[in-house]
Amino acid sequence: MFRIALKMLLGDRGKYFGIITGIALASLLMIQQPGILISIFSRTYSFISDVALPDIWVMDPMVKYVDDSQPMLDTQLYRVRGVKGVEWAVPLYKGNQRVRLGDGQLVSSNLIGLDDATLIGGPAVMLKGRLADLRLPDAVIVDEAGATGRLAKPASPGKKAEPLQVGDILEINDKRARVVGIARAGATFQSQPIIYTTYTRATTYALSERKLLSYILVKAKADEPVANVTARIRHDTGMAARSADEFKDMTFQYILNNTSILTNFGFVVVVGFIVGAAVTGQIFYNFTLDNLRYFAVFKAMGATDRMLRRMILLQALLVGFVGFGLGAGATAVFAAITRERPGLSMTLNWQLLLGSSIAVAVIVLFAALISVRKVLKLEPAVVFK
Amino acid sequence: MNGPASAVQCKGVIKRYGSGEAEVLALRGIDLEVRMGELLMLVGPSGCGKTTLISVIAGILDQDEGECLLFGQDITRLPADERTRYRGQAIGFVFQSFNLIPTLTAAENVAIPMLINGMPFESAVAEARSRLRDVQLEGREDALPTQLSGGQQQRVAIARAIVHRPRLVVCDEPTSALDGETGHKVMQVLKNVAVGSDRALVIVTHDARIYEFADRIARMEDGRIVSVEQAERGTKENVP
Ligand SMILES: Nc1ncnc2c1ncn2[C@@H]1O[C@H](COP(=O)(O)OP(=O)(O)OP(=O)(O)O)[C@@H](O)[C@H]1O
Ligand SMILES: [Mg+2]
Repeated sequence: MFRIALKMLLGDRGKYFGIITGIALASLLMIQQPGILISIFSRTYSFISDVALPDIWVMDPMVKYVDDSQPMLDTQLYRVRGVKGVEWAVPLYKGNQRVRLGDGQLVSSNLIGLDDATLIGGPAVMLKGRLADLRLPDAVIVDEAGATGRLAKPASPGKKAEPLQVGDILEINDKRARVVGIARAGATFQSQPIIYTTYTRATTYALSERKLLSYILVKAKADEPVANVTARIRHDTGMAARSADEFKDMTFQYILNNTSILTNFGFVVVVGFIVGAAVTGQIFYNFTLDNLRYFAVFKAMGATDRMLRRMILLQALLVGFVGFGLGAGATAVFAAITRERPGLSMTLNWQLLLGSSIAVAVIVLFAALISVRKVLKLEPAVVFK
Repeated sequence: MNGPASAVQCKGVIKRYGSGEAEVLALRGIDLEVRMGELLMLVGPSGCGKTTLISVIAGILDQDEGECLLFGQDITRLPADERTRYRGQAIGFVFQSFNLIPTLTAAENVAIPMLINGMPFESAVAEARSRLRDVQLEGREDALPTQLSGGQQQRVAIARAIVHRPRLVVCDEPTSALDGETGHKVMQVLKNVAVGSDRALVIVTHDARIYEFADRIARMEDGRIVSVEQAERGTKENVP
C-alpha cells in the first residue's frame, strides 16, 4: 500500500509540485535569512578577527564595542609594557576620518594606525603591494571592498567608476596619502572603507584629536595564562583588558542588544516558518481532502487505521524530503554565488541545515497530523454516497 | 463441514441518522436473511434505506439496535482493527460512483484489496491483470480511469470487488452506468465469481433489466422490508 500511497501523491502533478514548492520556499527562508544574519553578525567583530596576533586588547573602560574606540593617553602604553607577564604591547589607532576623492566628495573611512616598528594589526592578505611599503612617505593601504566601492575613482562623464589603484593619491583631512597596496579585510558591519597606515602618520592625519591611542595590543608571555595577564593589566593600569574572544563576544552582544537586526531577521524566519507551515499544511491537507473518498474506500476494503496513518505519513515525509532538498539546494547555490563577493553574503553551516530540517519536519508532521485526524474520523459508509 | 446456514442474518435492525428534530429513521426493524449461494436483489424507492442496509450488512456502518450476523458471526463485537481486517478478507464492494483511484492504472486499482491484505505489489498486480481479462478488459490494464469509458470503469470496479475472492459481495447500483448489453455481461461475471455454495451476493438496484439474474428479490419501503419473493427465471440465467 506504500507504493499506492506514493502513486496517489506523485500522480497528482499539480498538487505535488505545489506542496514541494511551498516547502522549498519555507526551507529557503529558514536557512537563508539566519545565514545572512550570522554573516552580518560576524562582521561586527571581523576587525578583531583580522588583527589575529595579540592575545589581549587593552582599552578605555568606557568602550562598549570595537568601533566605539575611546582614546587613551599614550603613557598608558608604557604602563602596560611594564606589567608582569606581558611579552609585548603595541599601540593601535582606530578612528573615522574623512577621505576626499578626486571630485571633492568626502567619504567617511575607518583609519587604522599600526605600530610603526612592527605593523602588528595589519591585514593578513595583501592583494597588491607589500605591508612594509607603509614605511614609504605618505603611504596608505586600502581594503579591497573600499577600493572597488566607495573609494573608487569617481566616474567622469560617460565613463564608469574605476577602482582605486596602487599609486593613486587621496586626501585625508587635507593631507596627502598615497596608495601603496590593496588588502583583503573581513567585511565590516558598517561597510566603511578601511585605510591602513602607520601609527605616527595616523596621528598627523587625525591632527584634531588630542589623544589618539585607541587600543593597546598585547601578547602574553608563553608561560603565563592569558586570564592572569588580563587581570593584572586591569589592576595595574585601571584600563579595561580583554582577551580577543571576550572582546568579540562583547561587540557581538552590544550590536545584538542595540540594533533591531535580530528582531527583523528573526521576524522573517518566523514568518517563513508560519507561512511554510500554513501553506504546506493547507495544500497537503487539501490533497488529503481531495483523496478522502479514496481513503474511505481503503477503509471499507479493510485498511486499518495504522495502515492509513503510515500511508499519509509516508506522503508527508516524501514531500518534506524533496521540498527541503530543493530549498536547501537553492540556498547553497545562493551561498556559493555570494561567497566571493564583497557586500551581501551568507553563512551556511550544519547547525542551520539541522535547525531548518527540524523545522520542515515539524511542518510536514503537522500537515500529516491534521490529515490523519481527518481520515481516521472518516465514516467508511461514505463510500456508498 | 458444519458452517453457518446463511450468509447474512439480520434481526430487528434499526438505524437512525442525526438526532432530535433532524432525526431520520432509515431502518425501522429489518429482518432479512441472505442464503448461502444466493444472489439477492434489494429494490425500492429512493430514500427507503437500501444503501443504509447494505452498509450495515457489510460492516461499514453500525446499526443502533438489532443484530446482523455475517456467516454466523456478529462482527460488531470484534475489536475495531480485527473487524476492519475481516472486512478486507471477506467482503467485496462495488460502488455506484465506481470510486476508482484516478492516479492508479486499472490493474493497480484492482490490486488494492490484495495489497490491503498484505500481498506483495508485483504479484497483486499480476493477479489483477488476469482478473481484468475476466471482465473483458484485456489490453486496458495500464489505462488510467479517465482513459476508460463509464462501462469499462464499472468493470474495473467489479474486478476489484471480486479479485480477492470474498465470501460476500455487496453492490450499490452496479449497472446504472451501463447499457443493457454491457450490464448483462457484467452481471454474468459477477454471478459467476461471487456466487458459490459458501458465498453470496447482495445487489441494490433500480435496473429492472437485471432482475432476471436474481435468486430472490427483497422489496423495501420506508425503512422496512415489505416482501421477499422468488425471482422469475429468465433465459440468460442459464448461460454458464
Ligand atoms: N448520512 C446521513 N445522514 C442523515 N440522513 C441520511 C444519511 N444517509 C442517509 N440518510 C437518510 O436515510 C434515508 C435512507 O437513505 P439511503 O441512502 O439508505 O436510501 P436509498 O434507499 O439508498 O436511496 P437511493 O435509492 O436514492 O440511493 C434517507 O431518508 C436519507 O435521506
Ligand atoms: Mg442508495
